[in-house]
Amino acid sequence: MDGKIIVVTSGKGGVGKTTATASIGAALALEGKRVVVVDMDIGLRNLDVVMGLENRIVFNVVDAVKSKCQLKQAAIRDRRVENLFLIPASQSDNKDVLTPEEMIIFSEQLRSEFDFILMDCPAGIERGFENSVAAADEALVICTPEVSAVRDADRVIGLLYARSITPKLVVNRIVPEMVARGDMLSHLDMVDVLSIELIGLVEMDDQVVVATNTGIPLALQKGSKAGEAFRRIAMRLNGHEDLPIQVPEAQGGFFKKIRNKLGLGR
Amino acid sequence: MDQEKTPVRLKGVGKNLCIIVDPMESTEHLIQEITRLLSELSEQVIDSAVTIDVGEGHDDLFAALGSYIREAFGVSSIARPDKRIKIAKRSILPEERMRIRDMEQSWHHYSTDVLMLAGRVRSGQRVAAERHLIIMGDVNPGAEVMAGGDVVILGSLMGTAIAGQPDNEENIVFALDFRPTQIQIGSFVAAGLPSSSEKIAEFAHVENGTIVVDNYLDVNPFGRLPWPQVR
Repeated sequence: MDGKIIVVTSGKGGVGKTTATASIGAALALEGKRVVVVDMDIGLRNLDVVMGLENRIVFNVVDAVKSKCQLKQAAIRDRRVENLFLIPASQSDNKDVLTPEEMIIFSEQLRSEFDFILMDCPAGIERGFENSVAAADEALVICTPEVSAVRDADRVIGLLYARSITPKLVVNRIVPEMVARGDMLSHLDMVDVLSIELIGLVEMDDQVVVATNTGIPLALQKGSKAGEAFRRIAMRLNGHEDLPIQVPEAQGGFFKKIRNKLGLGR
Repeated sequence: MDQEKTPVRLKGVGKNLCIIVDPMESTEHLIQEITRLLSELSEQVIDSAVTIDVGEGHDDLFAALGSYIREAFGVSSIARPDKRIKIAKRSILPEERMRIRDMEQSWHHYSTDVLMLAGRVRSGQRVAAERHLIIMGDVNPGAEVMAGGDVVILGSLMGTAIAGQPDNEENIVFALDFRPTQIQIGSFVAAGLPSSSEKIAEFAHVENGTIVVDNYLDVNPFGRLPWPQVR
């Protein structure tokens, strides 16, 4: 097997990298691919909670990289989603225990075992970021419609280009009503500044909080707008590149819909 | 000066030779000198266009030297220097002469140091140029562009632009879409510049000790210069 390593990054913290990693990972596994999600946020372990696998951790990514255990022992199988695995972060170390060189060697092992390897990159652009992108083939940059997130994403995009990785953009937590009022950056403005390929637009969804707290993958929840958006992103990653990007729209009144149909909107 | 005393001087570019002679000297002596100088050049002289400068008047001297050189060295043409240029050159100041040269010779003599880049300057990146800086692309928020001379952005300027480093206040910062975070020109700093809603070409310059932003096409700062200057 010759897997693809995709790093999920953002620069800024709290924009939804971990949620996106878990959701896209689960969606890819539901597509029938063998997927592993790797929590690279060493010292601040989160992904296991989001995926509801926190009570099954025995070994972690540091053990696996340092060959203290087998890859199979560190990779926890998700019981609800077939072919989905998690390699959790270590909670007791810090990011300096791993080096980019070690990660490149470890990545070869991962590529031979899985179709998709999703790296959940920590916030920031220091060692944790270096380790996460060291062996990456592709990158997803998660960005919320905020000026601060856009600036950090821009920085990260520059760093990814410097490493010959062409990133794709996921705009997370869009509130269509606010965009329509002009109170929120539209994804068009963001693409304008960041000038990279857009791979998905994710609407703000209360279900995310529920999913994160209960550990039930978003992709399994029917009727979740965010879950649906992440599923579509997964499909695009899985070869359906021409799948059209759905722009979240405000639930306007009856007359507004008619205006839009007539081309009088905005 | 030594050169003044030499009866015959030779200037030449390619196939054009200019012989400047002192009309006070005897014709024989001049011919002797010309023969000596031209013999050294030997074959290069053949077919060249020769200008003989004998000064004002002295028509007979020009005729004598001209016919001698044509016969002895087989040059293609003999002429006197163009009087108009000669007179004009005498009466004008060095600066005006430079202008004439600029207009006539279209800046062959000059080159300006410009760092010209195409692409997007992203947050955290810093571009610095010794002299002028031209960016065909956008400058994102959090990016910094710096120049010893002018900064010209053919796109959106949303980051920080620093011109005229370290102390040149004559320089400008120009952008087709002018929305900078901060502008510095020389030792002046301007932040929180009001940005216009639509995209208009604007530029920042120093006026009476502060940085002023104006509509470039309305003010047309360099359009008033009567002739092109090297920046």
